[in-house]
Amino acid sequence: MKRREFLKKAGATIGVITALPEITCGKGLLTSPVTTNRLRPPGAVPEEIFAGKCIRCGRCVEVCPYRSIRLLDIRSGIFTGTPIIAAEAIPCYLCMKCVLICPTGTLRKISQEQTRMGLAVVNRHRCYTWQGSIICRTCFDVCPYKGRAIILDELRPIVVNDHCTGCGICTHACPVTAEDGSKAINIEPIYAQETVLWK
Amino acid sequence: MVQTRRDFLKRTAALSAASYLGMILPFNNAGNALAADDTEWHRGSCRLCGTGCRLELGVKNGLPTALRGVPQSRTNMGFLCMKGMLFWKVMNHADRLTTPLYRAKKSDKFKKISWDEAMNIAADKFAGAVKEHGPNSVAYYGSGQALTEETYLFQKIFRGGLQTNNVEGNPRLCMASAVGGYMTSFGADEPIGGYADIEKADCIFIIGSNMAEAHPVVFRRVMRRKLDNPKVTVINADPRISLTSRIADIHLQFNPGTDLAMLNALAYVIIEEKLYNEQFIKDYVTFKKDKEVSIDFEEYKKSLADYTPEKAATIMGGKVTADQIREVARKIATSEGTLSVWTMGLNQRKQGVWANNLVHNLHILTGQLLKEGADSLSLTGQPNACGGVREGGGLCHILPGHRPVEQEAMRNQVEEAWGIPKGRIPAEPGLHTMAMFSAVNEGKIKAMWINCTSPVQSLPNCNKYNIGLAKDDTFIVCTDIFPTLTTELAANLVLPTAFHFEKTGVYGCTERRSQITRKAINPPKGARPEVEIVRDWAALLAKKLNDPIIIQCIKPFAGLESEYALPKAIWEEYTQKMTKGRDNDLSGAPYEVLEGMYDGVQWPAPTTEYAKTGGTVKKFVRGMDPLAEKLKTDDKPYQFYGAAHPDHKLWVWIRPQANPEEIPDADYPFYLSTGRIIDHWHTMSITGRIPELLRANPYAYIEINPKDATRLGIKPGDMVEITSRRGTNIMPAKVYEGPIEGMVFAYWHDQHPDRMINKVTIDAIDPGSKQPEFKICACKIKRVSGPQALKPYVV
Repeated sequence: MKRREFLKKAGATIGVITALPEITCGKGLLTSPVTTNRLRPPGAVPEEIFAGKCIRCGRCVEVCPYRSIRLLDIRSGIFTGTPIIAAEAIPCYLCMKCVLICPTGTLRKISQEQTRMGLAVVNRHRCYTWQGSIICRTCFDVCPYKGRAIILDELRPIVVNDHCTGCGICTHACPVTAEDGSKAINIEPIYAQETVLWK
Repeated sequence: MVQTRRDFLKRTAALSAASYLGMILPFNNAGNALAADDTEWHRGSCRLCGTGCRLELGVKNGLPTALRGVPQSRTNMGFLCMKGMLFWKVMNHADRLTTPLYRAKKSDKFKKISWDEAMNIAADKFAGAVKEHGPNSVAYYGSGQALTEETYLFQKIFRGGLQTNNVEGNPRLCMASAVGGYMTSFGADEPIGGYADIEKADCIFIIGSNMAEAHPVVFRRVMRRKLDNPKVTVINADPRISLTSRIADIHLQFNPGTDLAMLNALAYVIIEEKLYNEQFIKDYVTFKKDKEVSIDFEEYKKSLADYTPEKAATIMGGKVTADQIREVARKIATSEGTLSVWTMGLNQRKQGVWANNLVHNLHILTGQLLKEGADSLSLTGQPNACGGVREGGGLCHILPGHRPVEQEAMRNQVEEAWGIPKGRIPAEPGLHTMAMFSAVNEGKIKAMWINCTSPVQSLPNCNKYNIGLAKDDTFIVCTDIFPTLTTELAANLVLPTAFHFEKTGVYGCTERRSQITRKAINPPKGARPEVEIVRDWAALLAKKLNDPIIIQCIKPFAGLESEYALPKAIWEEYTQKMTKGRDNDLSGAPYEVLEGMYDGVQWPAPTTEYAKTGGTVKKFVRGMDPLAEKLKTDDKPYQFYGAAHPDHKLWVWIRPQANPEEIPDADYPFYLSTGRIIDHWHTMSITGRIPELLRANPYAYIEINPKDATRLGIKPGDMVEITSRRGTNIMPAKVYEGPIEGMVFAYWHDQHPDRMINKVTIDAIDPGSKQPEFKICACKIKRVSGPQALKPYVV
């Protein structure tokens, strides 16, 4: 192969790859699927080592009585086969069955209170109650740690990060749905980004 | 926006030049109509609770698009809850009934039929029943959500036309005891004050009401009052710690059914510590042992001897201390203005009227009445239980305008006004709700009209009554907008009706305020407003029974179009002929006046000028209530002109503690109580079809105290079986520091046969008000399995 020909072909290949839909391109294959409202089950180790530790046995999916946990398919690249919870579709009801069954410790055996799948964040520009004269406190009503994780200040919901488990029940119940499918209260997986100390 | 090429180029050039120079050009988006711009807003009332919130329906191209609050309204001040904001979504729901459905046998499938056929069948069946089995073989069962015009017209046809007093409605299940309480204590039905007292109250005593869930918009006013004035004391008395308790300074948690002892103990402290208002008692109060026997203050005092706070605290279960009772009594007696608020916790009880009397007693003894911020205010559950049913003659023992059926003079007034012969309305009150459905069970009712309600789900101990409703002995017509459990199980004929904002009419809320909702959109093709259905049905009945008097009943309404003129004519007749001269005088509030107001008119409102100010804020006060001036018997500032008390006084009653029908025992060791939740309404036929609301509360659960749950090995989410002597439910557990130990709580909206809590509740009734004891019965609970994924269920 001539040098020129090689460069031409290489250039074309790169061009084609970058032109492909996002999911199949390199970014999707290596980027963590954990984002807003896309959460790992309770007790998950940080995302940095999750894909390495999880053996994709699917037991957490089987044991989940609410079918909250789903397996990621081939489009997720190296994360294929790892469990995920879509909070706005079916949230985690914190039954804690998955943490007991995980064979590798990828889901650590923690209690309900210790669960930190993420943190609920109220979008005050979108929330009916924060915006004006509609009295909605659905997130407060459905919160399993009602009065602790979500409190009401003059009827307006406020999340307390000391108690929020990030279960997503509030996100699921929130009556506001934006065009992109997100709600007025969303779960940000802030704990998944913790870094692991390698020793 | 239409733009020519030339325009575009011009603007582009101008914009480029301007941006280059850093200018802002005066272009606007006038051509780009925003989505909201061509929305018309139609004012009306909310139909999903008794608060009486005023709201506006946004209509674009004839379709509903949104609901928003009316800030100028004196009931809600612009605030709405989620139900109120979202109910427009069901207006064009695919499940809406649009053709009459008929089946000869209840085991058959429904067939679609034409309106003509449907009306003929309905008229045939009712006429046949009357001819064969007499007038009392037919019955009407209405609703506190029907418009006043509808209830009034229905009862007119049944009483005047068919000659039966079998006219009832679901308000029997929700506020009959409050009526009994007001009549026996104050001599006239309905509260003296209203919501305006909340902003003036110094102490707010909430008992038997979870207003944070059931009346969120009124609760906001209470909360606002408390936040703006930290000195205001909020006291909540409830066996269950609820959201309402969150703002309470004192929460009294007692065993269900022991509140009569508590209320008596409060009266004991008030008398023991001489906190009563001696002058008020001297001027305005009679003490009563029973209706005929008056007693003196000393004897009343003696009757309370048993209710020392210490004893009461023991009866109440030991969670409340005697000192707390003393403190509450002092607050109630000595505050600048004490406002008591209650709902079903007192009303849905075997001792409902008594419990109501005992709250009134506290207000009468301390004189915490008739002044600013002081009132004894029963919140209504339904939007038109007060206006339509209590005032419009929707119960078996009352005629329109608060007229008791048994009194001949009252019947004659009504007959005269309707232009029908004297003696046409039978003297005997009809069957009250529970008796009516017992009669259905016995096959004594041959034809029944159920309007805008679902008794199959809402009656207590419903298994028992559903047997009769499912039998073919009773021909049942249902008028509704959606299929309900009642249309599925009990109906032979289902008639599709127009929804709120698809017809015109008036709702009367808790605080005696009547508010109009005008038609804003067309009902789905095939659905018709109730008033038109009844009028046309009555015309057919007259023909089949060959009875010109039925024609006389609908004569004033013949030929009127049903969108506006027909309800207007009915309202005119009702207010001008029925309420004029009565205590609920609305003769100054014709449609024109109501339409001109952001909210509505509080009766009595005898003149138009007066009605335009909003009407009477406080009854019985001279200078505030035109009737108090007109009907005064002496020079005192307060005039209790209520017809039920010939001595024109307030009555304080001796009402001892009495147990509910069922108290827990070894077999059924738990109390069961039921209630509402903020996002759902009654039998869920509306709110269950709004995805946002259903998602928040997809199915019922049973609230269990953590201590009981630990003892029984129940974890959150576990499926729990709740069994009483009458029926069984299986639903998930919510382990929650809400109900007192030994009590469980469920909400009653769920339609699923496994989670319909009224299969478990008891049908014991208050002997006075005939209201059933939904709130207390004995049950046992058992864990059946771990958590299960459940599906919401709506018929």
